[in-house]
Amino acid sequence: MTNSDKDSIMDDKVVTVQNPIDMTDVSSGYRGKIVIAQDKVSEITFENLDNACPTHSFGFDKKSQKLSVDHGKCITCDKCSVLSPTLIKIKSNFASASKHRTGLVESFDVGTITKSYDEIGKELKEKIHNLYGRSLAIREVDAGSCNGCEVEITALNNPIYDIARFGIHFVASPRHADLLLVTGPASRNMEVALKRTYDATPNPKLVVAVGACACSGGIFGDTYATTGGIDKIVPVDVYIPGCPPRPQALIYGLLLAIDKKLDRKV
Amino acid sequence: MDSSTYNLNIAAKFGENVKTELINGNEIHMFANTGDIIELCRFVHSDLGCRLLSVICNDERQITGMFVLRYVFGKENGEDVFFVATSNIDGKDNCFPTLTQYIPSASLYEREIKDMFGLIPKGSPDQRPLLLHSWPEGNYPLRKDFDIKTKVPKSKEEYPFLKVAGDGICEIPVGPVHAGIIEPGHFRFSTLGENIINLETRLFYTHKGVEKLAEQMPMEDVVLLSERIAGDESVANSTALCQAIEKIAKAKIPKKAAQTRTICAEMERIYNHLGTLAGLSTDAGFAFGAARLNILKEKMMNLNEKTSGSRLLFGVNRVGGVKIDLTDVHKKMITSETDYLENEFYKVFEFLRKKSSFIDRLKNTGTITKEDAVGFGIVGVAARCVGIDVDTRKDHPYANYSSLHLDKHHDTPYHKMKYEVELQKRNGDALSRFMLRAEEIQNSIMLIRQTLRDLENTQSIWCDVGHLEPYLHALGYSESHRGQTMHWVMVGKNNSIYRYKIRTASFCNWKIIEQAVLNDIVADFPLVNKSLDLSYSGNDL
Repeated sequence: MTNSDKDSIMDDKVVTVQNPIDMTDVSSGYRGKIVIAQDKVSEITFENLDNACPTHSFGFDKKSQKLSVDHGKCITCDKCSVLSPTLIKIKSNFASASKHRTGLVESFDVGTITKSYDEIGKELKEKIHNLYGRSLAIREVDAGSCNGCEVEITALNNPIYDIARFGIHFVASPRHADLLLVTGPASRNMEVALKRTYDATPNPKLVVAVGACACSGGIFGDTYATTGGIDKIVPVDVYIPGCPPRPQALIYGLLLAIDKKLDRKV
Repeated sequence: MDSSTYNLNIAAKFGENVKTELINGNEIHMFANTGDIIELCRFVHSDLGCRLLSVICNDERQITGMFVLRYVFGKENGEDVFFVATSNIDGKDNCFPTLTQYIPSASLYEREIKDMFGLIPKGSPDQRPLLLHSWPEGNYPLRKDFDIKTKVPKSKEEYPFLKVAGDGICEIPVGPVHAGIIEPGHFRFSTLGENIINLETRLFYTHKGVEKLAEQMPMEDVVLLSERIAGDESVANSTALCQAIEKIAKAKIPKKAAQTRTICAEMERIYNHLGTLAGLSTDAGFAFGAARLNILKEKMMNLNEKTSGSRLLFGVNRVGGVKIDLTDVHKKMITSETDYLENEFYKVFEFLRKKSSFIDRLKNTGTITKEDAVGFGIVGVAARCVGIDVDTRKDHPYANYSSLHLDKHHDTPYHKMKYEVELQKRNGDALSRFMLRAEEIQNSIMLIRQTLRDLENTQSIWCDVGHLEPYLHALGYSESHRGQTMHWVMVGKNNSIYRYKIRTASFCNWKIIEQAVLNDIVADFPLVNKSLDLSYSGNDL
C-alpha cells in the first residue's frame, strides 16, 4: 500500500497488495531481524553480548569460533546493536520461517531471502489446490501470547493482505482445520487445552509456531508458568520467528508449511 | 485540600494509631496495624471519596521479617493524590482481614494474594483459586523463597462454577480456545431459551508469571517485558513502569521524551480503537464497515512502524526517557497521516452512524449500570460510558498531559454543565461505547497535533537515573485505550526490581461483562465482549 495515495478509502478501488511477501513497502527503520555483520567476535566478548540479550539468543561455537544468533529467541529489541554497532546490525527484512527449529539459528552472512517471491501468492494457491483441494483451513490457538501475534494474524484478514484470496481461511473449530497456528510460550494453564485442540484436529495436520514465544518461550522463557515453546507440548512443523512476525512473515511461514506437507507426500 | 489537611483528618479519626507520610509528591502513605486497616480503608473510601485502585502484597520478610499489604486509593476530579493504606501481616497464622464486604472490587485482589503468597483473606466470601489452575497448595510463586524455574505438578481440580438449576436451564461452556482469532478464556453461560441468565468467567489461561519474571531481570529488560504485558498496550504499560522508576530516582526526564511518550500513547489509542470499532462492525455482521476501518488501522500500524520501528510500538520507552528521536521527517509524516485519518474516519463513522441495521444491534445491547460500574471499580471507556468521569490523563496527569487541552468538555462553565448533562444521559450500552471510542479517536488526533506543534527541538531524549537506593518504591500510572493502568515498583539492590505489581484496566473491567450480558441473547456475547475491549493477557499477566 502506498501512503502517497490519498484517495478516499470509501471509493471503489483495490487496496490489496499484489505480492504479499514483497518487502519494498517496509520502512528502513523497521526492526525486522538482527544479523551478525562480521565473522569474528571482535571488540566484544560473546559473554558480554549474551548477557546483554534479554532472551539469550546468541550462541558461540568454540571449535569454529563462530558467533550465531537464534531468531527463534530474538525479540528484536536493539540492545545488542547498541552495545556493538559494528558487529550487530538490525535489518528491516524479516527473519524467515524455518521447517526446523535449528534452521532459525544463523551465523555470519546468511542470505535473508534466497528465493524470488514473484507471484508467491499464486504459488501458494497452487500448492494449496494440489494438497487440500482449493482451501487451507486454519485454527488459531493462543497458548498464552501477549496478543501481539494475534494483532498481526488478524491483519492477514484485512483488505490489504486479504489472505482469503489464496484459499486460506480461519475456521471456528479444530475439527474443521488442516493447520494449527499457535502463538505464545505455551503457558502452563493452556497446556491441556492445546493438547486437546491438537488431538481434535484431523490428520493430516500441520502445526505452525508463531513468534519468538512459540518458538522458544521468548522473553517469558521456561518458568513455573510457561513451558518454553509450543514444541514442548505438540510437534511443530514450521517455526515463524519475530516479535511479533509481520503479516508478510506469516504468509511466508504458511507457504513453508504447505511445502513441508508436499515434501512428505513425495 | 492539600496533604496536611488530609493528615489532620486522618489524625482526628485515628489519632496515634495511624501514621502518615507523603512520598513521591502525591502519595500519602498511612501505616496502621492489622486491627485498624479495614476501618482505615473504609474511611478513605467513603469519607474521603476515593476509589480502590490496587491491592499490593509484598514479601518483605528479608527486609522487615513481614509480608506487607498496601491498599492504593485514588482521588479523582481535580485532586492529584493517592492514598496508600499499609499494614503488616502477622507472620504466625498467615491471615489478613478481608475488605470485600465493604468494597466488592477488593475480592479479586484478595484471591490473587491467596494464590501467589499463600495468605488467607479471613472472612472473604470467595476464596476459589484465581491465577493458578490445577495448582497444589504449598507453592506460592511470589514468595521470595520460590524459585521461578520450579515445575509444579498438576493437581486434580474441579473448579466450582455457580450452578443454575431449574426447568429449561441450559449450560453452555465456551473456551478456553475460542472460535475467532482471540486470546483464551473460559465462559460458562446459563441460559433460559435464548437469554443469558448467568455468566461466569474463568480466566488466567495466559498467566506467564510476568511479576515474578521482572524480579529476575535487569531493569532495562523489565521495560521490554512490560511492553509485552499486553502487546497492544505496549506504550501505556512501559510508560507506567518507567515513570515509577523515574519517580524513585527523582529524575526529571527531558521535555521531548515526555512529548514523545504522549504522541506514541495517543497513536496506540487510535489504532486500537480503530480495531475495536472494526471488530464491532464484524460482530454485528457488517463486513463493509469492518473492511473500511481495518484499512485505516493498517495505515496507522504502518505509521507506528515508521515512527518506532515496530508495528505495535515496541521499543519506544526506556528508563529515563525514550529511545526514538522524532525528527522533522517524522513530524511531517505523522501530521499528514493523522490529517488523512481524520477525514477518512469521519466518512466511515458518519456512514456507520446512519446505518440503522448496524446501530440497532448496538443499542441497548450489553448495558451496564452505574451502580455495578462503581461496585466493581471499573475504569476507562467502560466507566465513562455510564457517566463516570474518570480519565488518568485528566485526574493524575503524567508525561506532558498537564499542558495539553484534553477535550472540549472542561473549557468553560457552560461546556462543563453541558458535559454533566450528557454524562447523565449515557446509558452504558454497546452504542454508547461505540460513540465514545469514535470521539476519543478524534480527541487523540487533536492531542497529537498539539504536542507536535510544541515539540522540543533538542537532542536530549533521555537522562540517566543513576543508582537507586534499595527498597524505595513508587506508583506508576497511565491511561491506556482500555483505561487506567496502575503499576507499583519497589527497587532492590544494584538497580534490580524487588517487586513489580501490575494492574491493568482489564483486571478491573473483566467482571463487568458478567453483568453486561444478562438478559441479552448468547449471539450478542461477542458484540458485548468486543465493545468492552478487554485484554486477556493484560489481566492474566
